Amino acid sequence: MEKASLDSATKRRMLFVLFIFLAVCFVALTVRLFYVQIMQHELYQAKAIDQQVRDTTVTPKRGTIYDRNMKTLAVSASAETVYIAPKSIKDDEEAALIARELSRILGVSEESILKKTQADNYYEVIKRQVEKETADQVREFKQEYDLASVALAEDSKRYYPYGAFASHIIGFTNVDGEGIEGLEMYYNDVLVGMPGRIITAKNARGTDMPFRYEQYIDAQNGYNLVLTIDEAVQHFVEKQLENAVVEYNVQNRATAIVMDVNTGAILAMATKPDYDLNNPREITDPELLAELEALEGEEYSTRQMEIWQSMWRNKAIADTYEPGSVFKIITVSMALEKDVVSLHETFNCPGYKVVAGTRISCWKAGGHGTQDVLTGVKNSCNPVFMELGARIGGASFYDYAEAFGLLEPAGIDLYGEAEGIFFDKDTIANGVVETAVAAFGQTFKVTPIQMITAVSACVNGGYLNQPYLVSKIVDDEGNVVQEFDPSVKRQVISEETSKTVASMLEQVVATGTGKNAYIKGYRIGGKTGTSEKIDEKNEEGVADKRVSSFCGIAPADAPQIAILMLMDEPEVDEVTGGLTAAPTVRKMFEDILPYLGIMPQYTEEELASLEKSVPDVTGMAVADAREKLKDAGFTPSVMGDGQEVLEQVPRSGQKLAQGGKVILYTTEQETSTLKEVPSVAGMSFAQASSTLEAAGFNMSSDGKDLTEDEVYATTQSPAAGTLAEAGSVVKVDFVHESESEWVNVEY
Amino acid sequence: MMNSQSRAAGRILPLKTKTAEMDLPFFVLVMLLVSIGLVMVFSASSANAYYRFGDSYYFIRPQLLWAVVGTVVMLLTARFLTPKLLQMSVLPAFVFSITALVLVLTPLGTVRNGAKRWLFGFQPSEVAKLAIILCMSWLLCRQRKEIHTFKGGLLPCGALLMLFCGLIALEKHISATVLLFAIGAVLMFVGGVDWRWFVGFGAAGVLSALGIIAISDYAMARVRVWLDPFSDPLGDGFQTIQSLYAIGSGGLFGLGIGKSRQKYLYIPEPQNDFIFSIVCEELGFIGACIIILLFILLIWRGFTIAFKAPDRFSALVVTGITAQVAIQTILNIAVVSNLVPNTGISLPFFSAGGTSLIMLMFEMGIVLSVSRRAKL
Repeated sequence: MEKASLDSATKRRMLFVLFIFLAVCFVALTVRLFYVQIMQHELYQAKAIDQQVRDTTVTPKRGTIYDRNMKTLAVSASAETVYIAPKSIKDDEEAALIARELSRILGVSEESILKKTQADNYYEVIKRQVEKETADQVREFKQEYDLASVALAEDSKRYYPYGAFASHIIGFTNVDGEGIEGLEMYYNDVLVGMPGRIITAKNARGTDMPFRYEQYIDAQNGYNLVLTIDEAVQHFVEKQLENAVVEYNVQNRATAIVMDVNTGAILAMATKPDYDLNNPREITDPELLAELEALEGEEYSTRQMEIWQSMWRNKAIADTYEPGSVFKIITVSMALEKDVVSLHETFNCPGYKVVAGTRISCWKAGGHGTQDVLTGVKNSCNPVFMELGARIGGASFYDYAEAFGLLEPAGIDLYGEAEGIFFDKDTIANGVVETAVAAFGQTFKVTPIQMITAVSACVNGGYLNQPYLVSKIVDDEGNVVQEFDPSVKRQVISEETSKTVASMLEQVVATGTGKNAYIKGYRIGGKTGTSEKIDEKNEEGVADKRVSSFCGIAPADAPQIAILMLMDEPEVDEVTGGLTAAPTVRKMFEDILPYLGIMPQYTEEELASLEKSVPDVTGMAVADAREKLKDAGFTPSVMGDGQEVLEQVPRSGQKLAQGGKVILYTTEQETSTLKEVPSVAGMSFAQASSTLEAAGFNMSSDGKDLTEDEVYATTQSPAAGTLAEAGSVVKVDFVHESESEWVNVEY
Repeated sequence: MMNSQSRAAGRILPLKTKTAEMDLPFFVLVMLLVSIGLVMVFSASSANAYYRFGDSYYFIRPQLLWAVVGTVVMLLTARFLTPKLLQMSVLPAFVFSITALVLVLTPLGTVRNGAKRWLFGFQPSEVAKLAIILCMSWLLCRQRKEIHTFKGGLLPCGALLMLFCGLIALEKHISATVLLFAIGAVLMFVGGVDWRWFVGFGAAGVLSALGIIAISDYAMARVRVWLDPFSDPLGDGFQTIQSLYAIGSGGLFGLGIGKSRQKYLYIPEPQNDFIFSIVCEELGFIGACIIILLFILLIWRGFTIAFKAPDRFSALVVTGITAQVAIQTILNIAVVSNLVPNTGISLPFFSAGGTSLIMLMFEMGIVLSVSRRAKL
């Protein structure tokens, strides 16, 4: 500093300025930065990330529901959610455009969209579960106007490939994808999966960054259910149930359950009429629709909800009924197990029994006379069962009912199971009349699922199973997440008793009140039941509504399948389980047993009566054709004088009874002609056969002891009055007359 | 590295002359700041450039060119500028600058970003900064004897300052006006104008400012937004809030170079006045402190050169230039950290822009040329 060119005053001033800059200003800045960057770091960082990041939820794919052969019963397909980012909307004009166009494409009210555009966020759902075509239209609109504020996100929609099928088992989901009925509801937690998130960096315009700055938390897809239900069996059951509802004019729905008696697995469970799973809120019944149309406002919605609830109600588990004579299976099991009856002792039925001073009738006015237990079961004789009840004793009867699971829900994997209505223990223990009446299945109520589970226990060796619908839970790779093994609650009766009961049930079908369930080549067992709905009386105080039911098992020598079918309020002339439910169950068995690989094994007698396929004789010389048909056991009938068979009726491959007539046409002039099919309804076997023969038709029928007196024809195919080829086969259903075993019990 | 750089520069330009070499620390600090500035301009501008022009290099390409041109200008100035030449340039600088400031107000001036501040591709206000330094230094030397008086000191100097400030104020360029005023005031203070005037004017300034705030709704609103930017988050407070988000997100170590998220259109024009927010976000408090330290060292060195300058005029010019860098830096960082109300002041060496960088490098060249004759 020797030769300073600046005076010291200037230097002092410069130093002062430097001091202000460095020691004051820069220190202040550093302190300020420290405060913002370090002290308020978390506050600002959180706010910054909040604006920089878009957090999108990824809906997981809901699990698929498969039948036991992995046929898809319910599946989620990808759909899209259309949403807007209100904060990215530039101006009112854009908001109006969005509201107008999205309203047009999606059918959402313009007003509601406009309201959503005012929201202070980046995510307002306009519509969910939008299908691809519609979503594409939204995409086009978005691109046309280059709108960052309209966006689409992955969503899913539930589809039920079979529509109105197994509706009450499968159930359905609401728009949020939550199961609200059936298995969809019961297994919702399993099916729903875990939603994922996509955290995307976004710039101030709300669009994505040019580079990948994304964090995925993968959605975990829901697990899939594999049911015990067999789609084919379910279809067979639903078809017959549907027919029965029409044929027997069922007023309050019909239901059927097919159970694997050894495991409790449900192969089919149906209630008809049902509803379309793809459109569960659609009311199809024209009467209900008309009723609903007449209502308004709250009344309308209340009634609509009522109709929906009853439509969705799973009759097989949620409704109770008086089991009636089907319950005799349980009573006889109790008696045999308790060893209070010998198979050889006899009972006398004079047509009534007096219990504690009360005269209770048998359903058969004249009585059944002297009979052993087996005959009593075959006849469904009430006095025999009253006697059994007395021998079992009220307290014991109660304990057995409890052991058979009739006092608690069966525990199937569905919500809404009813509990049934039973006597309390004291009442039945001290009530001789109550026990007598309960012994033939009246004055208490059970659910169909409780009933079939108990019957299964009677014939499967005595084991009460827990019925179930889901056999396993699998993930998308097919790995088993959880397997549901059959679960035996307890053994109620011994294997020996069970065998006896099964063989008794076979006799009921072979030679007793259950003949209408008989199928050639199969050992079907079963029991009919008819009950009145005593708690629903008409204006005159008469309980005129009936429930007819049948519970069948097959094969009776080694039971595998049980079917319980009941019709609530069928309205036909004669409402008895034997006449209505038994033939329906027979038709179900006819389809189901061969499908399950249970093949008919004919007795010699059955073999002889079996219908055979007609051989192909067209093109053959007339003499050869005659020979061939005769050898096959048919009766040839030649029309015209040609040398060669030009045409035959019935055609080759059709089933025809032994001795059936096959018409052979031999000239161009003589060809098959159409004739009107006569009605055979109500006729006996012989009458029907001769009527059809006279009209030039062959008759085909199936059943047990059809030549007996009390057998009559019910339905026929082709129907009466239609035209059919002369010589063709008319299939006729015959039923054995069957009386209601229900008796009026007033005590 | 520093040595090789200077040696490389030495080979290109005949720096070794009869006079001493230019000041190496100052040169190195300038080059460091320019280099870091370029990196940050690229980082900060890439997203903005990509979204607006579909080209990430839109801003960095010319900036790089200006930096190279600026460095050449600086080295040439350092090599060839003499005190005499500097003295001689006062009048042309005055004439040129005033002319330009007047012309920019005429229809010859062009509008960019909504402000009419450009004339034939450069900003006269940038040139005016150097002009006021030269003119004021010259005037202070000329009036040295009577500088402490009102008539011989405050009046002529004040008149010169008012002329420049008035013309720039007509551009409605508040920040440049303030900056120019501050540079002039610092020079007048250092140049010997009675310090009591500054106290008086300072007090009067503060009082009148408070008065304006009290009666003007506009000023009041600005102050309210300054005190609480969140009171108008999408309007006037937006820039400040976004800047605070960036600085706050940086934390101690920052998100890493290039990893700013706030540059994605959140901070408007992040390569300009708010580039320091991005520096804070990417480099953290530590990085910000290092850069502040570089500025402190540069200012320190600038004053040292002024201190040892061969003559009073050179000393004042270097003081003015250094003060300009200091004031701009302080105001810029104060704005981005919301220590003072938001006003558009660029950060030396960092903010993108051709005129300002060339002018700044030219000024650095002047400082370096003085350093060659300083008794360091």
